[in-house]
Amino acid sequence: MKPAFTPRVQRSHVGTYRARIDGTEKASGRAKYAGDLMVKCRVPDILYAKVLRSPFPHARIRSLDVSQATQLSGVVDILTFEEPAVAGLKSTNAGWTDGVDTLSYERMMWRRFCDRRVLGSHARWVGDEIGAVVAAESEEIAEEALRQIKVDWEVLPFVLDPVEAMASSAPILHPELGDTNVLPEDAVGGADVFVNKGDVTRGLADADVVLNATTTYHNATQNSLDNWCCLVEWCEDRITVWSNSYEAHQTRMHFSEMLDVPLNNVRVVSPYVGGQFGRGDTGDQPFFLFTALLAKRTGRPVLFRHSRRESFHDGRQHVCYHGTIGAKHDGTITTLSFNSIGNVGAYADHSMFAIKFAPAEVTEVAFAHIPNVRFEGRGVYTNKMPACMMRGVGNSQLNLIVGRLVDGLAEELSIDPLDIACKNFGHQWEELPDKSLVEVLRIGAERISWKEKRHSPGLGPLVDGVKKRGVGFSFHPGWHAEWQELRRGEVHVTITVNPDCTVTLDAPTVETGTGSNTCNVLGCAEALSFLGISGDDIHWVSTMDTDVSPQDCVQTDSAVSFLQSEAMAAASKEVKVKLLERVAPLLDATPEELDIDAGFVFRKADGGCKQSLKGLLYQASLDPVTVAVSRQPLAARTGIPFIATFAEVEINTDTGQVQVLRLVVVNDCGTVMYASGAEAQQIGGQCIALGETLTEEIIYDERTGVPLNFNWIDYQIPTMADMPEIDPVLLEVWRGGGEYGACGLGEGTVTCTPRAVLNAIYNAIGVRIDSIPVKPETVLEALGKTS
Amino acid sequence: MAPSATSRNTIIRPPELPIIINGRSYRPECVPPTTTLASLLREHFGLTGVKIPCDQGACGACTVIMDGKAVLSCMVLAVEAYGHQILTIEGLPSDDCVVEAFAAQSEPGYGTALQCGFCTPGFVMTARALLDRVPSPAVSEIKEALSGNICRCGCYAGIVQAVRHASELIAKASAS
Repeated sequence: MKPAFTPRVQRSHVGTYRARIDGTEKASGRAKYAGDLMVKCRVPDILYAKVLRSPFPHARIRSLDVSQATQLSGVVDILTFEEPAVAGLKSTNAGWTDGVDTLSYERMMWRRFCDRRVLGSHARWVGDEIGAVVAAESEEIAEEALRQIKVDWEVLPFVLDPVEAMASSAPILHPELGDTNVLPEDAVGGADVFVNKGDVTRGLADADVVLNATTTYHNATQNSLDNWCCLVEWCEDRITVWSNSYEAHQTRMHFSEMLDVPLNNVRVVSPYVGGQFGRGDTGDQPFFLFTALLAKRTGRPVLFRHSRRESFHDGRQHVCYHGTIGAKHDGTITTLSFNSIGNVGAYADHSMFAIKFAPAEVTEVAFAHIPNVRFEGRGVYTNKMPACMMRGVGNSQLNLIVGRLVDGLAEELSIDPLDIACKNFGHQWEELPDKSLVEVLRIGAERISWKEKRHSPGLGPLVDGVKKRGVGFSFHPGWHAEWQELRRGEVHVTITVNPDCTVTLDAPTVETGTGSNTCNVLGCAEALSFLGISGDDIHWVSTMDTDVSPQDCVQTDSAVSFLQSEAMAAASKEVKVKLLERVAPLLDATPEELDIDAGFVFRKADGGCKQSLKGLLYQASLDPVTVAVSRQPLAARTGIPFIATFAEVEINTDTGQVQVLRLVVVNDCGTVMYASGAEAQQIGGQCIALGETLTEEIIYDERTGVPLNFNWIDYQIPTMADMPEIDPVLLEVWRGGGEYGACGLGEGTVTCTPRAVLNAIYNAIGVRIDSIPVKPETVLEALGKTS
Repeated sequence: MAPSATSRNTIIRPPELPIIINGRSYRPECVPPTTTLASLLREHFGLTGVKIPCDQGACGACTVIMDGKAVLSCMVLAVEAYGHQILTIEGLPSDDCVVEAFAAQSEPGYGTALQCGFCTPGFVMTARALLDRVPSPAVSEIKEALSGNICRCGCYAGIVQAVRHASELIAKASAS
């Protein structure tokens, strides 16, 4: 048995180890995902849509001839970019097609970057949706029809490298936005120099030691197993959409505003979703709209779904950071400055969130005690797959450089990097050292045997004659505390107590696998513990349906795990009052004279009149008692907890193979809402994190601009055989606002691992590798073993 | 030369032998020769526990048991399945110990055995076939047998525990 975590406050439900509420439904294969509702035998009159995709990294369509394709047996409709229904649609971007809150077109986040056309004629990467979409009786027929469309392409020069794309001679991707590929400054991200605290020049002058480093993160992708799809029906004036997007009300808004249909005539249904990881946080949502237009014209339900190849449509930003750190001999950091260039690919989407917004947030909560901090960053368009949101957005790339600077500085000063971290990093609402950071690092160091295993770089003992071992770590502030979720607006929950004291819980959100559903049930059982019920007595409504569900709490930031439970805690008093109002007349008492505990009603004064609530409810009106609450997240600036990953690696100096032996993943959670689920996030995040560090990478043919590995044979995701032993450690040191004071943890589980592994590699071989993925040839090159 | 869509959609007469799915015998007609077993099971029979994330044999989510052996149903043509016994996750008994163990995993330190659940039927069927063959597998055998399956939520540690627990349930059942 591994050690279980010890909660700060012992509760009956919240914070416990238990099976997921959807465990049996999912393990038995009975859970229905959107694609399962769209199979031919369930929707006999279904049509399949396939969209034309650019074979060139940069090209324009001069003209299209669909006459031959239209003749193909089984082709029902072809929609092209020249038709008014398409050409008249507004340009769009990811600044509103997804959202933590529901946004209108006018209130979208990145207004300056409305760079996406729905089915335009200007292709900007290989795979860009462009020109025409076919509806046919089968996907094979639709694909054949696409091949029979005659396209007159104007092939344009292309650019893949962001530095080359900044040159004045580079082909311009979005001439409509200006005469450069560098994204302009905007209201949300700010200026190119978007953080400038103190004076970094003075900080450098004050420093006894100055260190520079450069790190590069590549463009990994999310790779949810459940390929994105939608089935759209447009009957009379009403649109119904079944989809595996991670938000429902925002999707409804998207349809309504883009297709000019009233909100109440758009119904969006989302059952279980097979993984998100940021996949749906992208501007790549025009497919919803052309699928709807085809459904309208054909009068039949139309399905659009990505193939595995097409599922490579957005990912993490390829970012190169140059960083400078300066410090006193005693390890006091006097200055931190960064200059970054991010390859955003063909469309801006949320890339400036990664390049500017996230680093600015980190500055506020982690660099608050460093007097001089400067960030300069630029996003650059290139003819590659667009980057957008991926689990740990922006933080992963930043951590790769920060962890490098701290580790390097520590070596320079002969101080333990753990001490450098504790001496300098923390949020502005707490004095140094930050209690959360100290504890996260203490426990992590203990679990990895830091003191025993760490040695001078490259000077550890040889294992099996050719292998070298090393340890490393990296740390980061967590994010998604309650005060950071204010922009969501109100969080809605509806609790219905049935006469038999069972509960129907409508905590609206799309369940993407995060386990927020089980958190919700535990939160509900905790809040309604006076009913004497367990989680099994609570039915959680698993399908989001905008016709009947309250506004969904968008499944991002892993914040749904506690935001809805906070709302339930607030609702429980009202539930009790309503129940007492119902049963009080039966006991010849006023509601105020009574109370409920463990499922029994009694007189407060002397404990008398004790009767079971269920028995009383069956004597009263049999209407269920329903309480709907809305709660604004608390604004109290409680700061943030810290997270860290510690790694032990073994490097084969003959083959260059990196074997990660062990990872210790430490999260201060504030409050653990659901222990098994939280550990699953900590362990599970390492599949993405280690994949990004060692094996995952999109490879382009530089000569043609064609991506070469949009499949799972050549884009290598870790399997069970690749994963090391992982030690998940949950802590409750920091505390946020509200009843529980929790913080989202899922995203951050991927953030520190790449740097922890790179620092461990350095400890093992004594040579720095600062770019990921680290493939065997990278290690051999670092060791000077390549010819 | 690649066949045209027209030839790919040509309907051929199904073989004489029936296909036996979860114990029942079928002779589906109108099956184009390029239809995969995975597609047939989902689209024709509505057996949607079979998932098709990659359609190229890379992820294991479409795993079914064919004549007692775990196969990737996206790599088997429907016509190849005629005359064979196919077991999908829908054909497992409702109290199947592998299903129960995957659903129940919550042992501290290992996380759950599933999160989004999309890969789970494939893991369950691969594990079922392993345990039918090797009722008490070593951890290394579990890892080898399941290393063709991808879980992007990364629940590998929980899955190993679930298979171990299922193995214990089998041992307990055979002892009693």
